[in-house]
Amino acid sequence: MKDYFFSISKILFRLIEDKDLLILNFDAEIGDYIRFNHSKIRQVGNVKQITLTLDFIRKKTTISSTMRLNGDLKKDTKLVENALNFLKRELSDLPSDPYLMYAKERNSTEKLTVSESINNKNITERIIESFSNLDMVGILSSGYIYRGFANSLGQTNWHENQSFNFDWSIYTKSGKAVKQNYSDLTWQQNIFEQILNEGKQKLIALENTEIKLQPNDYKVYLSPHALNEIIDMLCWGGFSYKAHKIGTSPLHLMSKGEFRLHNTVHISENLANGINPNFHRDGFIKPIDTELIVKGDYKKSLISPRSGQEYSIQHNGAEYHETPVAINMKAGKIKHDEILKTLSDGIYISNLWYLNFSDRNKARITGLTRFGCFKVKDGEYLGPINTMRFDETIYNILGENLIGLTNNQQLMMDCSTYEERSTFSSCLPGALVDGFKMTL
Amino acid sequence: MRDDFFKKVKQLIPNVDYCSFRFVSKYTNVISVTRGITEPVKILEDDGVMITIFNAGGIGYGATSDLTEAGISDALERAMEWSTFSKDKVTYYPDVSPLKNHNGDYYTKEKESWAQISTKDKIDFLKNINQKLKCSSSISNWAASLRYNKIETFFMDSNDSHIRQRISYLLPQILVSAEYKKQTQTRTFGGHAHARQIGYDFLDDISFSEKSISLANEAIGLSRAPNCPDKKTKIVISPDQMILQIHESIGHPLELDRILGDERNYAGSSFVNLDMFGKYKYGSELLNITFDPTLPTELATYNFDDDATTASKEFLIKDGILLRPIGGFFSGQRANLDTVACSRASNWNRPTIDRMGNINLEPGNSSFDDLISSVEDGIYVETNNSWSIDDQRSKFQFGCEKGTLIKDGKLTSIVKNPNYRGITQDFWQNLIKVGNDDTRKTLGTANCGKGEPNQSIFVGHSTPSCVFNNVEVFGGIK
Repeated sequence: MKDYFFSISKILFRLIEDKDLLILNFDAEIGDYIRFNHSKIRQVGNVKQITLTLDFIRKKTTISSTMRLNGDLKKDTKLVENALNFLKRELSDLPSDPYLMYAKERNSTEKLTVSESINNKNITERIIESFSNLDMVGILSSGYIYRGFANSLGQTNWHENQSFNFDWSIYTKSGKAVKQNYSDLTWQQNIFEQILNEGKQKLIALENTEIKLQPNDYKVYLSPHALNEIIDMLCWGGFSYKAHKIGTSPLHLMSKGEFRLHNTVHISENLANGINPNFHRDGFIKPIDTELIVKGDYKKSLISPRSGQEYSIQHNGAEYHETPVAINMKAGKIKHDEILKTLSDGIYISNLWYLNFSDRNKARITGLTRFGCFKVKDGEYLGPINTMRFDETIYNILGENLIGLTNNQQLMMDCSTYEERSTFSSCLPGALVDGFKMTL
Repeated sequence: MRDDFFKKVKQLIPNVDYCSFRFVSKYTNVISVTRGITEPVKILEDDGVMITIFNAGGIGYGATSDLTEAGISDALERAMEWSTFSKDKVTYYPDVSPLKNHNGDYYTKEKESWAQISTKDKIDFLKNINQKLKCSSSISNWAASLRYNKIETFFMDSNDSHIRQRISYLLPQILVSAEYKKQTQTRTFGGHAHARQIGYDFLDDISFSEKSISLANEAIGLSRAPNCPDKKTKIVISPDQMILQIHESIGHPLELDRILGDERNYAGSSFVNLDMFGKYKYGSELLNITFDPTLPTELATYNFDDDATTASKEFLIKDGILLRPIGGFFSGQRANLDTVACSRASNWNRPTIDRMGNINLEPGNSSFDDLISSVEDGIYVETNNSWSIDDQRSKFQFGCEKGTLIKDGKLTSIVKNPNYRGITQDFWQNLIKVGNDDTRKTLGTANCGKGEPNQSIFVGHSTPSCVFNNVEVFGGIK
């Protein structure tokens, strides 16, 4: 795929005059999606998709075209040449873009993660066998992901891996469920079985009689997955420089110094795990680590090259929407293997669901408990709880009411597959929080 | 794609229980002007094919953007491989014998076509709106954009079906934010839900440009307004919030694949079960909900769904009683229930699942003045900006951009951050007035997410304003 992309690039760059610039971004995947319900295959198939985006620039004017390709050099050459010619014609009618910004230095990189071939049919056989006595529903997304960049200045970047992401839930007869995930570059049956066994243990506790909570303030443990949902909401403009400038960031009061989080909270954008490409769609190389919140104070925003131009500030390689792609939160001191004992009396929240803002200015978030949430008494699982709605501001959750963070971090690879398999990830600890407001 | 190409492809259909080819060709053009500056114009073209096989107890698909003969043959081979592998390993294997030959077409009518207007004229139009939006120093953000989508589908199957459909839609958007004492409030043009199958002339019909001035003034007013009070009260809901209420608490819970458990790992299931159809009282007798793929210009109007089922208008809820789920042919067979033509896929690279099409609340008899004058003490809410509901579609909470208090049957002062919450099963019983056709708006949202692998699709909602009793409303942090 790499040779194919760079061959297409060369053909196109020959058609570019010195006064012009062409930027190419390449996104492709070849893989299988195996969807399960009731521990059997519900839908299954293979998807091959190749996407090329051409950004054509003349002086300060630009236009963009995205197209699907066949993967056949001869046929695609004609397609991309036609597209480029169309862009050249259309460009003449467009106004110049004062915020246009692209990499002018050549920073070529390549990341090929070599791993054993993944046999999706073998994995599917093992999955069906492992869940034969359980009610499992979920999806295995598995195969190759490719990302490429090239510009007519001579820079080339390539990112490729073969990976899988198996995301599933196991249901009890009463409708309660445990949600789990196993994602990696190679399938190791012993690791999968270990995760599955942990799920089975939780499933036993879910069989207990449901405990109906009433709206109130509760001491809760938010697992890394639950905390991830909350942090994800902050990514809706919370770390965006542009959102702060226009006043729509949920953390804009924090960046103005009016609020702060607990001093054990450190959040950064960290690309060290290599899951997301390190190159920007305009060719900039992203920093490995960008500190966003340090000791509870807002430190830095993600700044895209476009915002950099608009607000005359140095950018830090963020994409257009200035959203973190690999968020990292430092671990704390609470021993994660003693979390039930530390929680003592409260609610163990494995997952949260369908979050949104109920007061964006004050970073107040609403959402619901889902999958494997328990009432805990005297450090033991008492039983599953009914679905509860919370409505709480981040300044309480990770501020005044934060008791502490666990001493482990969990790496979570995003299993989202809108349009294509996501390369986002997050690495977070769990959080122990007091006075967590349940409203319905 | 030309007919001779399809003729050639048709010869590839293998001798199996059932096979379909669904070619999709999408064109998208996005033009945006943000804070007075034209953003890079975007053109997206997306072509591919989905091949589905049902054979001897196994199912499989192959989807590819490689539309060469070799590429299509390869995708067919992948589909065959998976169908062979999955034999006797599937949750459900359909009886394909009722599937018949279908032939037909559908084309959106654009009075003034998108292509007739130059990109420069579109940019100038949006720039003009931007100037109107930036009417005060307290306006902190402003933008206007036009998104045009054209989706052509060609479907053929082993029953010799041939269906060609071309849906094109226009989504005009305005966004304006005002800041006052570190409080930012935003108004949008209908919560970005004005997508319709319609021509460029639509922009004049809805006074798109003129709306910019009032939206900017409303954002300024809201930034200075008090918070919505906390109380249980009557609530009048405008169409641009009603569509979310219908979408989340009627549309999704009636999706049959959710009820059958397919979505339990992601989008969730439903408080509705198979036994409720035909008898469950979903809401007051004023509640009439239809699946209506026939309403001209509505976003999900079509003649066939993506599994070639002929589309027709059907009541899902009549006089408050639940009648029929949102389930396509295959789900209907699994559940032994009457269905609608709602088997849809977001693109060529995703298989069909049960989706909303146009899910509409049928108008009642009350004028807008009747609705407001019937409320002694309450609130009128407009334009969704926050949505959250549990995985069973029961406990919901929605937020709106603008609230207006109602006193003694009259609209009075505006309030910011109007939120309300409730439980679906109770909420619809408290529907006490339904607006007439004059209060009705036909709207549509371009992004409804669901499915594994994930799919985002366009759905339409047409609804009047409505009044509900006994609703818990509340504002932001005081």
